[in-house]
Amino acid sequence: MTISDQANQVIDLVKAAGASGDLIIDQGESVSLKARDGELEEYKVSSSQIFGLRVIKDGKVGTAHSEAADSDALSSLVEQALTNASFTAIEVHENILANEASLKTDDSVLCPVENVSIDEKVNFALQMESDLAARDRVKNVPYNGVQDNTNQRHIFSSAGLSAYSKSRMCAAYAYALVEQGDKNAMEGIGQASRLFADLNANDIVDRAYTQTIDILDGSPVPSGHYDVIFDEEVQASLFGVFTLMFSGKSAKDGVNPMREKLGESIADTRLNITDKPLSVDGFGYQLFDAEGTATQSTPLIVDGTLNTLIHNSATASFFDMKTTGHAARGPKSTLGVGLHQLEIAAGSSSQADLFSGKYLMLTDLTGMHSGANAISGDFSFGASGFLCEDGQRLQPVRGITVAGNFYDMLNKIALIGDKQFWNWEKSALMPHIRFADMAVSG
Amino acid sequence: MLNHQTAQSVIDHGISLGADFAELFVERSQTNTISTLSNQVQSVESGIDFGIGLRLVYGTKVLYGYTNKPEGDELKRILSELAAKDLRDPGVSAFNFDYRQITDLHPAVRTLTNDSEVESKVAYLLAADVAARAASNMISQTRGSCRQKEQHVELFNSEGLHTGDTRNYIRTSLTSIASDGSEQATGSWNDGGLMGWELEHDISAEKTGTEATRQALVNLGAKPCPSGRMPVVIGNGFGGVIFHEACGHLLETTSVAKKASVFHDQMGQMIANTAVSAVDDGTMTKQWGSINIDDEGLDTQRTQLIKDGKLTSFLVDKIGAEQTGFERTGSGRRESYKYAPASRMRNTFIEPGDANLDEMISSIDKGIYASHMGGGSVQPGTGEFNFAVTEGYFVEDGKVKYPVKAATLISTGPAVLKEISMVGNDFSLACGMCGSVSGAVPTSVGQATLKVDDILVGGNA
Repeated sequence: MTISDQANQVIDLVKAAGASGDLIIDQGESVSLKARDGELEEYKVSSSQIFGLRVIKDGKVGTAHSEAADSDALSSLVEQALTNASFTAIEVHENILANEASLKTDDSVLCPVENVSIDEKVNFALQMESDLAARDRVKNVPYNGVQDNTNQRHIFSSAGLSAYSKSRMCAAYAYALVEQGDKNAMEGIGQASRLFADLNANDIVDRAYTQTIDILDGSPVPSGHYDVIFDEEVQASLFGVFTLMFSGKSAKDGVNPMREKLGESIADTRLNITDKPLSVDGFGYQLFDAEGTATQSTPLIVDGTLNTLIHNSATASFFDMKTTGHAARGPKSTLGVGLHQLEIAAGSSSQADLFSGKYLMLTDLTGMHSGANAISGDFSFGASGFLCEDGQRLQPVRGITVAGNFYDMLNKIALIGDKQFWNWEKSALMPHIRFADMAVSG
Repeated sequence: MLNHQTAQSVIDHGISLGADFAELFVERSQTNTISTLSNQVQSVESGIDFGIGLRLVYGTKVLYGYTNKPEGDELKRILSELAAKDLRDPGVSAFNFDYRQITDLHPAVRTLTNDSEVESKVAYLLAADVAARAASNMISQTRGSCRQKEQHVELFNSEGLHTGDTRNYIRTSLTSIASDGSEQATGSWNDGGLMGWELEHDISAEKTGTEATRQALVNLGAKPCPSGRMPVVIGNGFGGVIFHEACGHLLETTSVAKKASVFHDQMGQMIANTAVSAVDDGTMTKQWGSINIDDEGLDTQRTQLIKDGKLTSFLVDKIGAEQTGFERTGSGRRESYKYAPASRMRNTFIEPGDANLDEMISSIDKGIYASHMGGGSVQPGTGEFNFAVTEGYFVEDGKVKYPVKAATLISTGPAVLKEISMVGNDFSLACGMCGSVSGAVPTSVGQATLKVDDILVGGNA
């Protein structure tokens, strides 16, 4: 059976049961390579497929998933979803959108054809690992890898929606463990591209090595309050931890601290944050969301004022609005909301101004999944980086913590740089922001 | 789940490609997850995960693939693709599968196969919500969940092993959100085990609700935490995450074999204070991190990691054993067929001592009592770790003074192990999910309340 045949079988069964529904089919193929001591340590290939069904019957929503795709499994999928729906409360706001669109992403942009052999990928992995391991004081390269992933998503609905996307991501990363006497350090970096040919092993080796050596002699700074700048990797992760603040679903559920602050100033007036799903340079590109709604650029914070929360059709209905095209749903999950690709607008501060005086440049935060409370905004993370003055590093810094409240931090912005940077995974585009007066323990 | 003859022909094919070892890991898992939001059922989700993981080993090199398609031709195609660069002279298959029946140390009663029992679980979660709200009128919201999983695994390998196991997991949790109008704070409570919904008889909706609310209220009234180096008393149960992060990950051969662990060359040496003895035990009856066999088909065991401060064992999987020369410990684990197995923790804990909480608190001039811990992470290469305090108190002049919020403890494994000076007698275990190279696996952490003499506390005061 083709994907369409399978989808038709499921959707027909849903309709026959007097229900409406939508079906997500995610497929993936990947190659993953890891090297150790000049040899290939791991070579992993995979192909996967999963069906995720959401049904709505008598106002009740149920979901089910299956990795098996034979006819019996798909029939069982529908039965399970309907059974699950029977247990839930009536949800008047969640409906299958009246959307008959036929949507398809552009393979030439998101999944360009490239003639690259497995040998080339293996050689890349081996060269990257052995070159980094050969550098002075590098004990080994415990974490490294090369990946080539292609993912496809189909969405079909009982209303006639047919949406399809396909994208490819090639990535490489390496972490060096450096030892000198009784000191050690481990740091690393990665690269991501839609074309394998754009990955550069030499660049990864150079930057991973430099980053690790530079931090090796790090020591704590005295406890106190410092101006802090996060590098592009860390800053993107930090904002990612607190995206609940934009969630219409969390607002509906009563746990978003910003739910009563629409139209109010919540940040420094120089801060502008927009979700830009149609920027093809990033891997957060999305032509449509999980309900098949076409996406668009959405200004979230405009001149420090909260402009909108993000919504799917259900949360939008709850607030008597229209969906913002931020429905998120995996095959195994219920309908939620999610940002696609965060962009913070460049500010007006030159790099010279941004890096003037004394400040901490933090290049690594640890415990970000456990040390933060997105509801209260409170956080406390382990940190490392550099104590700097006027753009010059005074000393590497390790063994410190940085703590505060993220929502308060948005009002403690000293400067916003005039250049934007992608993080290496290309999920967010941001300038450096200098935050004033942050609590550091050393 | 996979035809015996198909498995034989696929394994034969792997050996014919010159591999030293070939293995099939077949998995079919059924899941059911119920979520509540205050007094309503928010969602019920269920499904079937099915797939086959294929592993070829050449020396210590691992080739791994997986698919959802159980046909022999597809499985052989994947093996051929994996082995394309490593073809050697064909090996000779000289085995016959002899099914090894395992002894089920954790028989489950109320399994998903029998009945998902949604009504009963919903009743429990809604009763917990009622208890949470009854405990305080400042609770604005509760979120409950009950997740049950029944995992069937079947293993075939070129050493003639054919065995299988069924694992029943269940976990419940409730989070209370307290609000005073201007601030919100959360508290939570969870239970779980390697069992079916008979867990219901071991747990209490009343306790779940009131504990979640109690912690939310403590956090709502908490002050910013002082920062700097100071003594910290860490509570029992989930407080054991300190050992899990600070030491457990560094004893997995996944890190040791790569010399990416600071302990890789410390076997037999004193790596901890003499007050510390630690164990990783996969055999504890119906404990969340227990297993009958590991995901390489080996019986699990109790492994003494540290005895009176001395390193006595690593956690060793098949590849780790070949790379390091240490005996396997039944610790090869993986989240699902999508991952090659790796050495992982099971139920990991510091054994109890004879101190008590009052002695520990009274020995502190200025410090923190971290009664409940959250998660954490570690960088094995350097041993640097962090973990979050979810309920903590400032201690001064030997007395608990006031609750503190947003605190993180950071140190390195080698350093903190030497700073544990007192271990209490109130031992308990707690459930968690541990993420690493072979995915997220259920693990328990545990300890009695213990005192760390000197650790960096990151606070916001």
